[in-house]
Amino acid sequence: MTNETSTENTIEGVIGERMTTKPDRAGEAGPAATEIRGVIETKDMSVFYGDFLAVASVSLNFGRNQISALIGPSGCGKSTVLRSLNRMNDLVATARTEGEVHYHGQNIYADGVDPVEVRRTIGMVFQKPNPFPKSIFDNISWGARINGFRGSKSEMADLVQQALEAAALWDEVKDKLADSGYSLSGGQQQRLCIARAIATQPDVILMDEPCSALDPIATLRIEELMLELKENYSIIIVTHNMQQAARVSDKTAFFNVKLNESGMRTGRLVEYSPTEQLFTSPTEKDTEDYITGRFG
Amino acid sequence: MTGIKDTNVHFHQELEELERKVLSMVDRAEQMVEMAVQAVTSDDTELARRVVELDQGIDLTYAEVHQDWTSLMARNQPLGSDLRRMAVLIQLNVTFERMGDQCVNIAKIAQLNHGLPRVERICEQIREMGDLVRPMIRTAIEAYVRGDVDEARLLPAMDQPVDRLNANMYKETVAVGNNAQLLEWATKMLMVSRALERVGDQAVDFGEQTAYLMTGEWAEFDEDGMARPIDDNDSI
Repeated sequence: MTNETSTENTIEGVIGERMTTKPDRAGEAGPAATEIRGVIETKDMSVFYGDFLAVASVSLNFGRNQISALIGPSGCGKSTVLRSLNRMNDLVATARTEGEVHYHGQNIYADGVDPVEVRRTIGMVFQKPNPFPKSIFDNISWGARINGFRGSKSEMADLVQQALEAAALWDEVKDKLADSGYSLSGGQQQRLCIARAIATQPDVILMDEPCSALDPIATLRIEELMLELKENYSIIIVTHNMQQAARVSDKTAFFNVKLNESGMRTGRLVEYSPTEQLFTSPTEKDTEDYITGRFG
Repeated sequence: MTGIKDTNVHFHQELEELERKVLSMVDRAEQMVEMAVQAVTSDDTELARRVVELDQGIDLTYAEVHQDWTSLMARNQPLGSDLRRMAVLIQLNVTFERMGDQCVNIAKIAQLNHGLPRVERICEQIREMGDLVRPMIRTAIEAYVRGDVDEARLLPAMDQPVDRLNANMYKETVAVGNNAQLLEWATKMLMVSRALERVGDQAVDFGEQTAYLMTGEWAEFDEDGMARPIDDNDSI
């Protein structure tokens, strides 16, 4: 682990900075305005589970207010990479991350960085909708309270409404906020989970195959929602569905599994390109083989 | 190198089948160019009738390709070179159907010109244009089949003498003088020249499609077969 020892530049400090500088795109001018600004950057990141090298030397720069997709065959390390971006892998006892993950320039693996705060700022939505066994209202208010929301009852009601509106769920549930989260359909439950993530006021939302348990209509609704959310958030999504990556993402990273000398199957980043380019004329032959269904 | 397994076999088989159909159209069009030129320069109305008949086959295939293409697209969502090939095939389908139409135009003129007096010099030029255009179609087919972009880039140079002969045809028409029947015949031959010039352009278009398929970058060819910058594109 290449931890930085300096704690001057804490995540909280970075977040304070972000809050004051975030809606500044309109103010940008000149050639720099066309450049994509980064939000998370991995530098030579490798992830091990015990001795097993799951994914090696990933250097990626995820754009702010963009949707970035991670694709690749099973075992290529895309979910592992995603989980390393908000230190979710810390929860796996054997997991170890090498290299650096910078969030607005600050290494989130540096000493003194609070992983809980990292996960609040860089939220995650999982493959299977996982609402709490509570009311729709409480699903959102709980997460917010746990993450330090100190507002009054009416402020909480506002927060819940805003989060549900942002997740395009408000109109469907506003008259039954006291009903259980489980009473909702799969697609609605997933949007409830997105609302819950939004309520903690994150900057980045990680999504781990958020639509794989949903029917096509619910999937399209989530995709529409993602396109709306990117106005205010940066989204990084792992998906098995190449068409989904093609539909929603701005940039796509393709990972593949490579056998190393000792026969170990390790995930590697093959290509990271604008989505349109990656799916019409990729640079790497591995990518071409994968997206045309030729698989080694 | 570990073996690459095609997990998309059925799609790729259907794509190849579609490609064969599209290429069969241009094979037929190449043959029709020869027949149409022969018909119009030797006043052979029977040959002209066969050109019109052959075109009906192209039109049938055109409709079939359109149907198959839409079905393939709906059932698979091809990406990468598969997607580019699909894009190229739907474009070539139109190009080859129009090549066939140009041959029909020539054949119909052969029928209209039947029995009129003629100028051998003009017939010679039309034959020469036919002899220049057919190798262009052959070159374009071979470049496509081999995926040879360098070969495709030869096409604009091959097209230049065709354009020159076509431009010269006005002078030849004026030179036939005041004989009304001769003038009627020659004016129609001007349209034959124009049709052959179009077929040459269509062969160049075919080459451009091959370059796109192989490189992933769409561009019209300049006269040296290189990519013409978009802002410099003032044709049409």
